[in-house]
Amino acid sequence: MKEINDLKAALDEHAIVAITDPQGKITYVNDKFCSISKYSREELLGQDHRIINSSYHPKEFIRGLWDTIAQGHVWHGEIKNRAKDGTYYWVDTTIVPFLNDDGKPRQYVAIRADITERKRGEEEIRELNTQLEQRVMLRTAELETANRELEAFSYSVSHDLRAPLRAMDGFSQAVLEDCAELLPEEGRHYLRTIREGAQRMGALIDDLLTFSRLSRTPINKRQIDTAALVNHVLTEPGFKPDSRNIDLRIGELPACVGDPALLKQVWMNLLSNAFKYTRKREPALVEIGCRREDGADVFFVGDNGTGFDMRYASKLFRVFQRLHRAEDYEGTGVGLAIVQRIVHRHGGRVWADATINRGATFYFTLWKTMS
Amino acid sequence: MNETFVVEILLVEDNPHDLELTQRALRKANVTNHLQVARDGAEALDFLFCEGAHAERKMENAPKVILLDLKLPKVDGLEVLKRIKGDPRTQMIPVVVLTSSKEQNDVIESYRLGVNSYIVKPVNFESFAAAVQEIGMYWLLLNQPPQLEE
Repeated sequence: MKEINDLKAALDEHAIVAITDPQGKITYVNDKFCSISKYSREELLGQDHRIINSSYHPKEFIRGLWDTIAQGHVWHGEIKNRAKDGTYYWVDTTIVPFLNDDGKPRQYVAIRADITERKRGEEEIRELNTQLEQRVMLRTAELETANRELEAFSYSVSHDLRAPLRAMDGFSQAVLEDCAELLPEEGRHYLRTIREGAQRMGALIDDLLTFSRLSRTPINKRQIDTAALVNHVLTEPGFKPDSRNIDLRIGELPACVGDPALLKQVWMNLLSNAFKYTRKREPALVEIGCRREDGADVFFVGDNGTGFDMRYASKLFRVFQRLHRAEDYEGTGVGLAIVQRIVHRHGGRVWADATINRGATFYFTLWKTMS
Repeated sequence: MNETFVVEILLVEDNPHDLELTQRALRKANVTNHLQVARDGAEALDFLFCEGAHAERKMENAPKVILLDLKLPKVDGLEVLKRIKGDPRTQMIPVVVLTSSKEQNDVIESYRLGVNSYIVKPVNFESFAAAVQEIGMYWLLLNQPPQLEE
């Protein structure tokens, strides 16, 4: 008997306990039941559990509970209740039916634990998740809109911005052709300058469009025979200047994974830069190769050309940034920006090393896996 | 308008500067005779299908080639192309899209609709003139069109 009393004392310390008769009338509550429901013992005894009903659970839930215990089975579940002051609390509940000799329930003993805090936490997480999903949806929609706008913008650039340039170039040329003898050499020079400006802007627009298209086109990764790709670039008619003495050294080039068309563009840009900036070297040296660093293949294109000042290296890969004068080395300043964007889209890295008048080397890595 | 002579080239171009430059390039190549200009898609369709201002024209006198800009007022170039290639009376006429757009969507859509050539107008006039002259030479002189039974 002492054991049972001890057990009851311990249980009262831990749990919310109630006993009801077969009809559900409350015949016993412990102190914890009173304190959590905020009803006094007198208010509770003789009532049934509807007094703390929160109306949260559907009828089927309550019916299921009663069916279970009326048939003499233990019911276990989580219930939301309403306290006297209108606040809600959650209890983890076990209801044990005790049966008569004839198998009918004699009384029900319900043991409960307060799980309001846990439930609140769960609720918060659920709410945050919903908010997050909404935010993601909203952001996705915004991005899609921005992308569509960008596409419309570049479409319009592609269509409309070139036409005025064609007029500038074409009519300047028309004057040069039809009225050349009426103009002093100075005038003809100005017209040629107008044409140069128009053509340069045309080239800038083309490169800018290529560059902006790069972020929108999907990447199709495949296993690539790097050596064959580089060879393909070098043997394209007119790509490698034949008139010059170029010492071209090609090292071993391991296979890589990437988008063949985009990586071809990378090699083309790097190699054409190497040829361009070695123009004044005799002989020009261009070295292509790969070395292994920290488990990654680092491809490189090096030359003994004009190089650049490493202090400005951070500007190299930005659109329209040039480290050389247009009259010394032609170009729009988009080539390396394109290289960087392609390499980044492959999860890789690109960097350069150079000394003025000694040459430059460009390195890049690619993310190894297909995914 | 004298419509008794056979139009060889239908040039559909809304931009007056491009129009003048194209005409100049054609003139330099001596392929300027029998040039009909339409300034928008609707005018081009009226001409081709002998409607509206061109109701007097005969369908049999189809141009040998159509130079078609894509971005046009009223009816755009792709729609004009669709109508030409979708109609048995006009689908055999070679259509050369001559446009500023390098957008792949435009190229793909034009080819899907059955365009015969797609040329991007270069900014540089010499290149532009060369392109226009080559189009004229190729479609008017070299190309052998099908002999249609009257």
